[in-house]
Amino acid sequence: MKILIIEDEEGLRESIEEYFSEAGNICETADSYQNAMVKINLYHYDCIILDITLPGGNGIDILKSLKEKNHPDGILIISAKNSLDDRLEGLNLGADDYLVKPFHLSELKARVMAIIRRKTFNGSNQLIFNEITIDLLAKEVRVDKSLVKLTRKEYALLLYFIANKGKVVSKNAIAEHLWGDGIDMANNFDFIYSHIKNIRKKLMEAGCGDYIQAAYGMGYKFTEQ
Amino acid sequence: MRLLAKYNRVNIITTIVVMLITGIIYYQAISWILTRQKDKELVVEEREIFEYAGLNHQLPQIFESNDQQITFTQAKQGSVTRQFINTMYFKKWDHPNAHGKYRHRKNGEYESGRGLISSITVGDKYYKILIIESIVETEDLIRLIFTITIGVILFLLLVLLVTNRLILNRIWQPFYNIMKELRLFNVADTKEIPQIATDVDEFEELNHTVTDMAAKARHDYKDLKTFTENASHELLTPIAVINSKLDTLIQTENFSDRQSKLLNDLYGAVSRLNRLNQSLLLLVKIENRLLHEKQKINLRELVEEMIIQFEEIFQDKDLKLTYNLEDKEIVASRYLAEILISNLINNAIRHNHSGGEIIINLTGEQLMIQNTGSDQPLPDEIFTRFHKSSGSEGSGLGLTISRQICGNFGFSLDYDFKDGYHTFIVDFNKHQKLFI
Repeated sequence: MKILIIEDEEGLRESIEEYFSEAGNICETADSYQNAMVKINLYHYDCIILDITLPGGNGIDILKSLKEKNHPDGILIISAKNSLDDRLEGLNLGADDYLVKPFHLSELKARVMAIIRRKTFNGSNQLIFNEITIDLLAKEVRVDKSLVKLTRKEYALLLYFIANKGKVVSKNAIAEHLWGDGIDMANNFDFIYSHIKNIRKKLMEAGCGDYIQAAYGMGYKFTEQ
Repeated sequence: MRLLAKYNRVNIITTIVVMLITGIIYYQAISWILTRQKDKELVVEEREIFEYAGLNHQLPQIFESNDQQITFTQAKQGSVTRQFINTMYFKKWDHPNAHGKYRHRKNGEYESGRGLISSITVGDKYYKILIIESIVETEDLIRLIFTITIGVILFLLLVLLVTNRLILNRIWQPFYNIMKELRLFNVADTKEIPQIATDVDEFEELNHTVTDMAAKARHDYKDLKTFTENASHELLTPIAVINSKLDTLIQTENFSDRQSKLLNDLYGAVSRLNRLNQSLLLLVKIENRLLHEKQKINLRELVEEMIIQFEEIFQDKDLKLTYNLEDKEIVASRYLAEILISNLINNAIRHNHSGGEIIINLTGEQLMIQNTGSDQPLPDEIFTRFHKSSGSEGSGLGLTISRQICGNFGFSLDYDFKDGYHTFIVDFNKHQKLFI
């Protein structure tokens, strides 16, 4: 999977690059409008993570240029502007998703994975992880053909974990992913614990391996080992 | 006290005082002149007597006239001093007791008179002369002049008062107009204070000053807003970096318990910082009315969605939720409506105790969210910015935002404490007055 990160803020760019760099992934970065234009004209990417405010130009222009040339690259806009107008403009111009800063890297990863899934499988609706098969259209989860009944949130959580497999996902990130920004529970995320417990129990009862591990009390990790 | 009333009061008091003083002076002057006139007549009469006595060596014949009486009385030599006196004049009627009136008097009446006492020696006899003239006509004259004068003055005063009232009211009209505009003034509004047509320099100046002041206030307010917005925006990037660095940091293996506790606290603090910042941005947006999009929202469905969203948290805190929802459609920004309801439910959960209760009621008139919690009513300041109950880890902006949203929607948000329930009521028919 080939990803281009267009972001001028060095700290953020490096973090994203590091988070996405794993076996089988190629991450490239651009820190300005000009560099970004050079890269998008030379190569194709599975997904481009695009910041709107850039030195030397506007991310929206990059998006327009990509669409004019009919590049098939998935595009995810990351912006500090949280207004409906900006969001709509980005999406109308052909961006696949819009994520507002600040965000959790796990959230970014989940969004990028969703975009790539839509692009590469081209409407195919199966996500397979070992013995787990997820029908993305019907929103059904099977373990070795047997159906596991998950609630809406448990299903979302499972997808989130698979997108971030091998990574420690913080409880904060999980809460924001499942309950949105509106959740303001004074950092008391105990209720996540019971959620994770349920999902683990359901999967293991269906004969699935135990993939979800607690990580130092900070979060959880979905891992093959 | 109104300016006109005050002005009139001063005006009337001075006019009356001045009028009294001039009246007295006037009266004195006229009566002095007329008395002197009478005295001259008396002196003429006296001289005639002297002349007559000098020529004829006897006292003149006394004849009655309607306005003059002369009497001679014999007196001791040198006992009479010449002087003018105010006295009474006995007037005889032409037809005694003509109308049967004044029965107690015989055939005449007393009037005011002016007299001159003098003396004359005829032969070897010494006489006292008393000449009395009636001054009733003089007094009538004085009274008439005085009455006319006072009447004219009073009439003038009345005319003055009426014209003052009319003119002042008209002249001050621009002032009242400016006041009205000032009362309607709101810094958050874009409406300008209009120029008021007036040819009075003072009012024009006032109008200018007010317009300038309003423009300045508005400008400063906008600056402050822009500053808040920019500051919050600039904060977003560093927060994003911290967040991403933390996410990266926890990927590195092997943390001790102590380290992971520290990291957890960091996460918490960053997330609070972020929420606070987002809230500030949101407040600026609501106050600047930057969120225009409006759509039909069924509040019942929205509340139901929120309840599902919060389901796990209700369970986790062991809260008993009772709700009774009727259909209520509003046309508003969905984004803001979601924030409003989620804020209110959030509060009801956060300030509840484990095993507590939450009651949500939605009718066509109001949305009421009640929760158990502390047994003391909350203070009035809960709606002010950054007011927090002790131990609360919220941003302190939740209720401010909720109230602003209600104001934006044309609703009101109020708090009440009854029967142990903290009650927040969104009234759809009452417009919230926003204070800034």
